[in-house]
Amino acid sequence: MSPDTHLLSLLVFLPVAGAVLAALLRREWETLQKAVGLAVSGATFGFSLLLVARFRDVATMQFTELRPWIPTLGISYRVGIDGLSLWLVILTTFLTPLCLLGSWRSIDTRVREFVVFMLLLEAGMIGVFVALDLFLFYVFWEAMLIPMYFLIGIWGHERRIYAAVKFFLYTFAGSVLMLVAFLVLYKTAGLGTFEIARLAAAPVDPATQTWLFLACALAFAIKVPMWPFHTWLPDAHVEAPTAGSVILAGVLLKMGGYGFLRVAIPLFPDAAMRFAPLVGVLAVIGIVYGALVSLVQPDLKKLVAYSSVSHLGFVMLGIAAFTTTGVVGSVYQMLNHGVSTGALFFLVGMLYDRRHTRLISEFGGLRAVMPWYFAVFLLVSLSSIAVPGFNGFVGEFLILVGSWPFRPWMVVLASVGVVLAAGYVLWMVKRVFYGEVKNPKNEGLPDLSPREATVLVPLVALAIVMGVASPAFTRRIEPSVDALVRHVKERVQPVRAADARPAALPGAEVR
Amino acid sequence: MRTVLDLSPIIPAAIVAVTGLVVLLAQAFTPKGKESPSAALSLVGLAFALASVWVLAETPATRGSVMAGALAADDFSLFLHALVLGTAAVAVLLSPSYLRAAGIERGEYYALLLFSVVGMLGLVSALELVSIFVALEIMSIALYGMAGMDRSRPESQESALKYFVTGAFASAFFLYGIALLYGASGSTSLVVVARSMGVLAPSSSLLAVLGAAMLLVGFGFKVASVPFHMWAPDVYEGAPTPATAFMSAGVKAAAFGALLRVFDSALPGLASRWQPLVAVLAMVTMVVGNLAALAQPNLKRMLAYSSVAHAGYVLSALVAAPGVAGEAVLFYLVAYAAVNLGAFGTIAALARGGREPLALRDVAGLASRRPALAAALTVFLISLTGIPVTAGFVGKFYLFRAAVDAGWWGLALVGVIMSVVSAYYYLRVVVAMYMSEPVGEDTWSAVSPASALALSVSAALTLLLGVWPAPLLALARAAAHSL
Repeated sequence: MSPDTHLLSLLVFLPVAGAVLAALLRREWETLQKAVGLAVSGATFGFSLLLVARFRDVATMQFTELRPWIPTLGISYRVGIDGLSLWLVILTTFLTPLCLLGSWRSIDTRVREFVVFMLLLEAGMIGVFVALDLFLFYVFWEAMLIPMYFLIGIWGHERRIYAAVKFFLYTFAGSVLMLVAFLVLYKTAGLGTFEIARLAAAPVDPATQTWLFLACALAFAIKVPMWPFHTWLPDAHVEAPTAGSVILAGVLLKMGGYGFLRVAIPLFPDAAMRFAPLVGVLAVIGIVYGALVSLVQPDLKKLVAYSSVSHLGFVMLGIAAFTTTGVVGSVYQMLNHGVSTGALFFLVGMLYDRRHTRLISEFGGLRAVMPWYFAVFLLVSLSSIAVPGFNGFVGEFLILVGSWPFRPWMVVLASVGVVLAAGYVLWMVKRVFYGEVKNPKNEGLPDLSPREATVLVPLVALAIVMGVASPAFTRRIEPSVDALVRHVKERVQPVRAADARPAALPGAEVR
Repeated sequence: MRTVLDLSPIIPAAIVAVTGLVVLLAQAFTPKGKESPSAALSLVGLAFALASVWVLAETPATRGSVMAGALAADDFSLFLHALVLGTAAVAVLLSPSYLRAAGIERGEYYALLLFSVVGMLGLVSALELVSIFVALEIMSIALYGMAGMDRSRPESQESALKYFVTGAFASAFFLYGIALLYGASGSTSLVVVARSMGVLAPSSSLLAVLGAAMLLVGFGFKVASVPFHMWAPDVYEGAPTPATAFMSAGVKAAAFGALLRVFDSALPGLASRWQPLVAVLAMVTMVVGNLAALAQPNLKRMLAYSSVAHAGYVLSALVAAPGVAGEAVLFYLVAYAAVNLGAFGTIAALARGGREPLALRDVAGLASRRPALAAALTVFLISLTGIPVTAGFVGKFYLFRAAVDAGWWGLALVGVIMSVVSAYYYLRVVVAMYMSEPVGEDTWSAVSPASALALSVSAALTLLLGVWPAPLLALARAAAHSL
């Protein structure tokens, strides 16, 4: 047994161990608690790099580990990664230490709990990306809600309780339906296992698939969030503390897209293909709607939050198109969004730390006051609006190219979103940074501190590297995506023929 | 070869009964002004009873039925014996500090608790309808006394009286059901009833169905399922809180155990007739319990309605009986006992001077004042909601899986949607503890070592069963198969 066998378990459980350790520290030792958090999440990131080093560019699951868990139901602790999940795991381990470092100053109450919840959250997120058993997937998916709920509710802004409860109920409501879908699938497939790969090979009649797909899709659509299930997002993003917003935007939203690719589409391919046009329409609405709403936001954080709706619309468009190019673009765009929107939330948070306001109208002329901050902000903005040479361009380009064979008119409308994105970001940059310093409170704002620079530089560097050296990333993603697309296309053809057969509702025969 | 007089299966119950008498005597012989060692005696007795259960479990020769087939000595009864005894032990640990705070430190409390345990132990092993009835009464009458223990408080009096009146009402239904089943089958033995169900004349079949429905009503009262739940909020609120904890966890375990045995092993022949009834009960109970809990500002009442709702979740799995229901229900009863003892226990542990934290403002900011206690209560509430990695999640997963397996996926759907509703009122408490500022001074009692032990055990069990449920599930499966 090579050490690789346990690498993923190490990534999941190291943060848990760190959380336990931090919880045992005395309340007064705040610096030590932060240091533990940073060290543990940093070590997790270090170990996760081993995944990149040893990953082979093939479609099969790697670093797999299998342990029986609840044998009577065929539930096992089964983990592994492929091209779909590799970079999402890295994104998680990469962003978490940055969040802890970025919150070093701004979180000054109940530090111990903050560190504990951040580390538990990290474990849950990694768990979702590596789980290959539906039960395990669901356990991580739900368990992660609790720390996020506390992060928003305890350290958030004025309306934090409302936002936290809304976030929790919205996502919980979505995911419980998914649980029923898993149970019905378990019964229908009759294989006595919750292993995703085996269930994906089991034939399920199209009518049943429709219901199960819709239940899962709802859970994932809420998480993405797709229009019109996005209303929890602006509240949660705006009210969350900076670290919470970064993790929400950077990783949590990706679970929606990932859920479609890992669970909903392979398990219910026929239904997924039938509903693809609908998903595409909602995605395009999300792109344009998110961009238009961003355009009129007076609040910086809200602007970034709504821009997420637009960006994630691109991701869903690529998934709906379901061509290899489109899906690779979607996976890539999820990573881009994590990097650039994560960086934007950090930047907005740093401004908030200084001025305790996020209203665009309060600022102006910051270019002269904080030149380094401005430089970083500009680079991140360019990455966010997909200027060639930055990561965003690669993702959006792949999605648009990959979606053309699907529905050309959707691509045309989505391109409008690209233009609008340039509009709302650049207009915001102009209002915040250019012109004269009109507001006396903005005079003498300190520029980036070394700690803040340490948080931002890796993100900016990554945005550029992912822009110019994209093949280094995509060649790892592509084989898995290709295999997935082929698997689904193969499954759909024979089932289509069975469409005409009258199909019973699930469970109806037993009644 | 077993004889009629082989009494080994009733050893645990006998130990508990004798302990109850000893506790009463010890109280009588304790000089005025001195404390009688009731709690310690009860714990010792319960420990011996648990040990005897363990010995019985390790001795396969004791399996079978005794007393002319009136009592079962199977894995099912041993499983529930262990659960009931464990529940009682945790409830005893929670009691001394609360009784002291309420000024009702009397040995009778522990004696009644032990007698009620005797009833529960009988209930889960009786194989004969009249024995079940007698056990049910032993359990209930002791509980009426416990509910009214705090005589000086009108709520406690109301609680006892209400419990007694509705309990008597339920007993009447139960007896009538027994009579009808006897009329249909000519016997009160579950084995004979089961055998005769297949060969009933149409007229007798109607009698049997009516009898089963009456029994269901009787059990419905005991487990507080809608529409037989009206007593629960008042009784749970008025009774001393550790007694409430014991009632909610122990009675559910015993009554659902008996319900499962009667319907799973005696009436499977009528399954197609009573399953729709159970399904309707389950659905109504889940919906009404959760919606009513939503409107409760009082924590004890909220937990009372939540316990109604949880009866509904369990019922939704019972439609899968006979079949996969047994193991799901047994596992859930354990998870539920740990969690409910913990949730009520947290309230009890803080009681001081006749007051206990019942409003949200009483627990506001608890996380900054009592971090460990707040964390424990959060674990219990998360488990009640049914979120991983807690026992409540695995339990609900199994219950709904049983419902789906039997083809009733609609019940599972209602169950999960109602879980979302329940998240709102459970989270309200978490919001108060973690996200609100404390109100006023911290006047609550320090947690006694015994309560701390009880709460730690409950919390640890809640998490352990959430992470590593396989061993208990295997036990539950074996127990359910022995029916």
